Amino acid sequence: MTQSHDNPAHKQALTIVGFLCNWCSYGGADTAGVCRFKQPTDLRIIRVPCTGRMDPLFIARSLILGADGVLVSGCHPKDCHYAVGNLYARRRLEVLKRMLPFMGIDGDRFRYTWVSASEGQRWQQVVTEFSEQIRSLGPNPGVTGKSAAAATA
Amino acid sequence: MNSDLRSELHKKAEQAWPDLELLIGWQAGYDDLHTTPVFIRDSAEISKLIWNPWCTQNLAVYVAKHFAASSGKDDKKIGVCVKGCDSRSLIALLQENLVARERFYIIGMPCKGIVDLRKLHALSGAARILSVQVNAEQVALKSAAGVLHFPLDEVLMRKCRRCRYPNPLIHDVLVGDPLTPRTDAHEAYNDVAAIERLSLQERLAFWQGELDRCLRCYACRNACPLCVCQDRCIAETRDPKWLTQYMHLPEKFMFHFIHALHLAGRCTECGECERVCPMEIPVALIKEALNKITLELLDFEAGLDPQRVPPLLTFDAGETGI
Amino acid sequence: MDTAIKFIAFDQLNSALDRISEQLDVWVPVASKDQKRVIQFAPYRPGMTLVLDHQTTLGPKQVVLPQVEALFRFDYRKSADEPSRQKVQLEDPHPPAPTLIFGARPCDVKGFLVLDQVFSAGPFVDGIYAARREQTLFATMVCGQQDSACFCSSVGSGPTDRTGSDLWITPIAAGYVVEALSDRAHPVMAWLQEAATELHVAAAGKVQEEAARQQVGNLAVDQCQQHFLQRFADTNYWQEVAGQCLSCGICTFVCPTCYCFSITDEMKDKHGERIRSWDSCMFFTYTLEASGHNPRPSRLERYRNRVGHKFSYFPEKYQGLIACCGCGRCIRNCPVSIDIRKAVQNLQGQNHACS
Repeated sequence: MTQSHDNPAHKQALTIVGFLCNWCSYGGADTAGVCRFKQPTDLRIIRVPCTGRMDPLFIARSLILGADGVLVSGCHPKDCHYAVGNLYARRRLEVLKRMLPFMGIDGDRFRYTWVSASEGQRWQQVVTEFSEQIRSLGPNPGVTGKSAAAATA
Repeated sequence: MNSDLRSELHKKAEQAWPDLELLIGWQAGYDDLHTTPVFIRDSAEISKLIWNPWCTQNLAVYVAKHFAASSGKDDKKIGVCVKGCDSRSLIALLQENLVARERFYIIGMPCKGIVDLRKLHALSGAARILSVQVNAEQVALKSAAGVLHFPLDEVLMRKCRRCRYPNPLIHDVLVGDPLTPRTDAHEAYNDVAAIERLSLQERLAFWQGELDRCLRCYACRNACPLCVCQDRCIAETRDPKWLTQYMHLPEKFMFHFIHALHLAGRCTECGECERVCPMEIPVALIKEALNKITLELLDFEAGLDPQRVPPLLTFDAGETGI
Repeated sequence: MDTAIKFIAFDQLNSALDRISEQLDVWVPVASKDQKRVIQFAPYRPGMTLVLDHQTTLGPKQVVLPQVEALFRFDYRKSADEPSRQKVQLEDPHPPAPTLIFGARPCDVKGFLVLDQVFSAGPFVDGIYAARREQTLFATMVCGQQDSACFCSSVGSGPTDRTGSDLWITPIAAGYVVEALSDRAHPVMAWLQEAATELHVAAAGKVQEEAARQQVGNLAVDQCQQHFLQRFADTNYWQEVAGQCLSCGICTFVCPTCYCFSITDEMKDKHGERIRSWDSCMFFTYTLEASGHNPRPSRLERYRNRVGHKFSYFPEKYQGLIACCGCGRCIRNCPVSIDIRKAVQNLQGQNHACS
C-alpha cells in the first residue's frame, strides 16, 4: 500500500479503499456499472473472497497510512457464500470501528455494509453516501510525524 | 503476614510435589525490590519460593509458550503459581484450547496488590532506595534522603487499583484466605473513559506522544501470556510485509494495532505489557479500551469462564445492532 | 587557548548550552513529557530542562549509531539514451555535523569504546559510523548515583573513569565544574564564560574523591573467556540463569555496547533507501536462515550467545576488551529480572550470590 499522505497531489482527489466480497458486493458494483448508474470515482476496489477474509488490520493500516476512507462490503448476513464468513466479520469490524476513535482515528472514515450482487441501486446509494461523508470529513491526516530516530537518519 | 503465607506456600507445594514434575513460582531477584520466575525441578528447591507484593510477573506467560506441547512424564503435572489476574490468563488459554487443564496444578494466590516500582522511584526522587518495608496497608520507604511513610494503595500498580478479581478464578489449592474485591465493573474502565472524554485530535496527539517513544523491542508482546504466535509474529516477517524497519509513527501505531487487535476479546488485563515497557508507554490502555468495547457490545470478559468461547472466535447469526 | 577549569552555575546551565548549541549539535538527557523516569538523550533546544541526577533509560548510543539510519538512497530512472533500460542513481547520506553529548556517564562513554573496535578501529572501517564518531565530543559527568544493578567497576570502568571523554563535569553544591580532557574540548571550554574558583575546584576534588572510592559491583571477570567456553554445552546451567527469558529485545536495545544491526531496502515505487537498523540477538529472526533452519532456535541459545559475545568472543577478538560497560540497564529493564552478573559470576564456578 502506498503512503498517500506524503503525496500532496493525492489530496486533490479522495483515496477511499473499498474491500468488496467477490460473491455479492463486487457483483453489486458490477451491476451498478452495467446499469450505467452514476457513481463517485474516489473508490479503489480491492476484491476479497469473503468479508470473513477481512483482517481488521487491513483497515487500520489503510487509515494509519492516510487513506481518506475505507469501505467494506459483503453479502447480507445469513446470505454468505461461505455460510458464516460475514457473521464473523461483522463482530470484528464493529469492534474495530469502535476502537479507532480511541486511538485518535475518526471512526466515520470506516464503514461496513452489506450489498448483494443484484442490488446495483443500493450499491450506488452506499458508495455515493460514503464518498460524500468522506468528502465532508476532508483529507485524512493519518498518524503522520517522524520520530526523533527517523529525523536523525 | 507474608512469612506466614510463604510457609503456607512451601507447605502446599511440598504436599503437591509427588504429583509434579515442575513448579513455576517466584524467587528473590537481584535486590529486595525485584523477583524473578523460578522453575523448580527438585523438591529441595521449594524453599526458594517467595510470595510478597513484589511478585509481579504473570507466570501464565510460560504456560502456553514453553510447556503446552510437553507431555508429562508418568502423568506428572506442571505446577504454576497464579495471582487473581494471572489466573484469568490461564482461563483464557483454556478457552482457546491452547493448554490442557489436566496438565497443570494451579496454586492460587489471593493478592492484595503488587507494588509499582515506578511509583516508588517517583516518590523517592533522585535519592537511591535503600529498603522498603510493607506492613499490612502501610509502606515505609527508606532512601538516602530519609524514611517516607505512605499507604500501600498509593504505590500499587494501576491494574491492582482497578482489580476486580483478587482471588484466582481457577485453582487446585489456595494459599491464604480469599479477599474482597475493590472495584465494580463500572469503575474499572475509568482510565479508558478519561481518554474517551478527550477530543479526537487530543486523543491522536496523546497517542502520538506516547507511541513516539516506542522502540519496538517487542517486550510488551513477549511478556503477554496470550501473544502465543511468538516467533511467527507478523510484526517481524518481511513476507507479508506489514512493517518496515523504519521507526516512523505509522510503524509504531501499526505495531500496537497488531498487538491490540489480536488481543481483542482475549486480553485478561494482567498489565504485563505496560509494566515491562522500558519507555513507560501505557499500552495496556489500548487493550482495556477493546475490552470495554467487547463487554458493551458482546457482553464478554475474557478469562472468567473456561467453557465460554471468546466472542471474536465465534458468531451469533441472530444478533442485531451490528 | 583558554584551558582553565570552568564553572557553570545551576541557573547558567541553559545559557551555557544555548551558546554551545549555536556552534555544535548538542544532545542532552531529558525526561519524556510526564514520564519522569524515562530519560533519553535528545537534541538540545533552548529552555529544555536537563535531567543530570539519573542514569538515562537509553544511553547516547543512538547519537552515533541511530536506531535507523540510511546508508544511501537509491532511485531507478529510465536511461535517456536507452529508454528500455533503467539506471540506478545512488545518493549518499548527509555528512554528520559536529556534535557534543552533554551529561553522559562514564559507562555510556565506555560503550562507545566497545563500538569503536567494531566500526572504526580497523581493519574494516565503517565510514558512516567513523565520520559521526569523529565529529562527536563527550562532556561526561562523574557518576554519584549507582544502584543495585550497576557494576561498572567490575568491567574496568568506574564512576570516575575519564577514558574516551573530552570534557569532565563534576557536580558540586553550586553548579558544575568543567575540565578539558582532550585538545578537541578547547573550543567548547572557550565558550564557557565563568572560570572556576579555587573553592569550586576544591569542592569538585572532594566529589571526585568520594566517587572514586565507590567500588561499583563485585563481579570477577578474569578468565571468563575460558570459563564461558567450558560452560557452553551445559544446558542445565543456561536453563538455570536464563530459563525465564521472554526473548524480548529490551536488554539489547538499552545496551550501550550492543551493536548488531540489520540491513534492509525500504522501497516505495522506484525509489527507496538502504537502511541500517538495530537488531537484537534475542529475536528468533536474528539467526533465522533462508532455508528455514535456525541455529539458535530457543531463548537459551540466544541468551547464551549474548553472554558469550560480551564476555568471551569479543575479548578474544579485541585484546581482552569486555563488551560490557556495567551500566546495569539490561538488569534494571529486564521484565523477568535476569541478572547477567549472575550468569557471568557462576561461569567461573564461584557459587556465591551477587550483590
